[in-house]
Amino acid sequence: MSAAPRPPEVPRERRPVRIGRRLAVGALLWTAALTGAHMALNVDWSSIVNQRLPPSQRKLNVAYIPVTCHLACPVTDFISRYSLAGNLFIPRMFQGFPEIKEALISNRMQVGFMVAPMAIALRAQGVPIRIVYLGHRYGSAVVVQKDGPIQSVKDLRGRIIAIPSRFSDERLIVFKALKANGIPPGNVRLIEMAPPDVAGALAAKAIDAFSMGEPYPAQAEIGGFGRILFPAREYWPDYMSCVVVVRQDVIDTRPDAVQVLVDGIARSGLWLDEGKPHREHAADFVGRYYYRQPPALLRHALTMPLDRVTYTSLSPRKPDFDMVRDLMIETGVLDWKIPFSEYVDTRFADAAGRQTAWKYEPGSGKAE
Amino acid sequence: MSCSGLVMLLVLWSAAIALAGNTLLPSPWSVAAAIAELAQKGFLVKHVVASLFRVTWGYLMAVVVGVPLGIFLGWRRRAEMALAPLLELLRPISPLAWIPIAILWFGVGDLAAIFIIFLASILPLILTAMNAVGSVTATHWNAGRNFGLSPVDLARKVLAPAILPQLIVGLRLTLGIAWLVVVAAEMIAVNSGLGFLIIDARNAGNRYDLVVAGMVLIGLIGVGLDSAMRRLERLPAASWGYQTPVEAEAA
Repeated sequence: MSAAPRPPEVPRERRPVRIGRRLAVGALLWTAALTGAHMALNVDWSSIVNQRLPPSQRKLNVAYIPVTCHLACPVTDFISRYSLAGNLFIPRMFQGFPEIKEALISNRMQVGFMVAPMAIALRAQGVPIRIVYLGHRYGSAVVVQKDGPIQSVKDLRGRIIAIPSRFSDERLIVFKALKANGIPPGNVRLIEMAPPDVAGALAAKAIDAFSMGEPYPAQAEIGGFGRILFPAREYWPDYMSCVVVVRQDVIDTRPDAVQVLVDGIARSGLWLDEGKPHREHAADFVGRYYYRQPPALLRHALTMPLDRVTYTSLSPRKPDFDMVRDLMIETGVLDWKIPFSEYVDTRFADAAGRQTAWKYEPGSGKAE
Repeated sequence: MSCSGLVMLLVLWSAAIALAGNTLLPSPWSVAAAIAELAQKGFLVKHVVASLFRVTWGYLMAVVVGVPLGIFLGWRRRAEMALAPLLELLRPISPLAWIPIAILWFGVGDLAAIFIIFLASILPLILTAMNAVGSVTATHWNAGRNFGLSPVDLARKVLAPAILPQLIVGLRLTLGIAWLVVVAAEMIAVNSGLGFLIIDARNAGNRYDLVVAGMVLIGLIGVGLDSAMRRLERLPAASWGYQTPVEAEAA
């Protein structure tokens, strides 16, 4: 019986296994080098350390997007770092409301700043969250092309208006204005657009108008291509847009942590409304270290005039929310009359009413 | 000659900006200045490292899972017949559509972004490996069996050299796809990366120079990655499948 013939030898340098080994080692070294560099340059270790602490000692993760409606979040973080207690929570910047919503649902974030109608709609759909505080009052406007044909609300008939979300007060304000001027809502075309894109879209004449929170109206004004048609308060006195939302399980198990958070935000609101120097300082550090927006843009939005957006009187009030809820039902984004007590927990705002403004002056390096 | 297209693009771009008189769109020079600004502030390395880190992990995990799975499916026809409809169903779904699910499963940060890149890479890799195995001729299989090779030796000495050329082309094209989805992957609340740079620049008001700088950097690094992968194609082991019998004899 003869042995099976041997297959022809492949030269060593052509053996796939040998080359595969070299490639695997190369890939391993490349991955290790990149991982090391990424860990050193980009990873937020304080957040990772926080996640490793026992649940009762963890700082809350707070989601926000770079709009002035959420300004109290970075301001509280910045000032509290100078206080004896240190930072009160871990802020995390997002780029849009849907991502904040998903992060809250999946418990990656325990607190989020979001538009009030979205919070109400989520609660109405059974998501266990509660509104505990407002983020601001005023600070939204409908903006049109500076030299365009739209001179009054009546001219909005047949136009394209960008809004941040179908669940936004900016959408509701358009409906209120149309209603007040006798224009059926079906006569305008509302499109949802990410807030950072609206100013560019208006400049390129891709849209006729937008209804947004600051600093995007300010951006269109400074850029010389936009003009405020009307601020939100013109049709909605005591206008409110974004609210602070907390997961129900956090409210139930860690009410003290929620109170610390709401107190901090309330103190920042009082500090911001103390005058122009505080607004200008906030524009500077929030622009540089948090929003990465030009401080001049935020300065315009926060000081031209000072009451363009305000950060006091932020306790949730039933009549405000009843109106939002009813408008949502009227405009087809909510299908039942969810009671105020179902989606708002006022006890934290009530307790925060005793708070005073942060004692912090620009450059002092300490806060109390 | 190879740069003439690029030069023409730059000239046309500059001319278009000058003629349009648009203050929003940046000229090539302001984009170059934006890249210099990023480098000076130390953001360039930070963003490039972050994007390469996510793409490397997402892509390599897809290679580790996808290639063996594809080979297995190509080898076992019954498994292929069972799973092919599922793969065909998943293939047309854009990685963007997975973003909400990625956040729910992995939260916000590196993991979700890596998952998106993994998803974008794994399906093309499985299909490439499956097709590569399917295209090994019966002659090769029979020759290996006639030499009395065990299944392990058959895989090492017949299958691996036969599928390697096709596999390397697939690996190169898939790395392109992985790099392509980096912008989408970095929309998920990460705070670094070239995709994040583009999205974040939109927040910063009139900083379209940074948006285009991010696009240019993604393009340049994509070219670099592609040329590195092309070098793999020139490896002697990878060229085996391309050679005609005469070329092989001459080699």
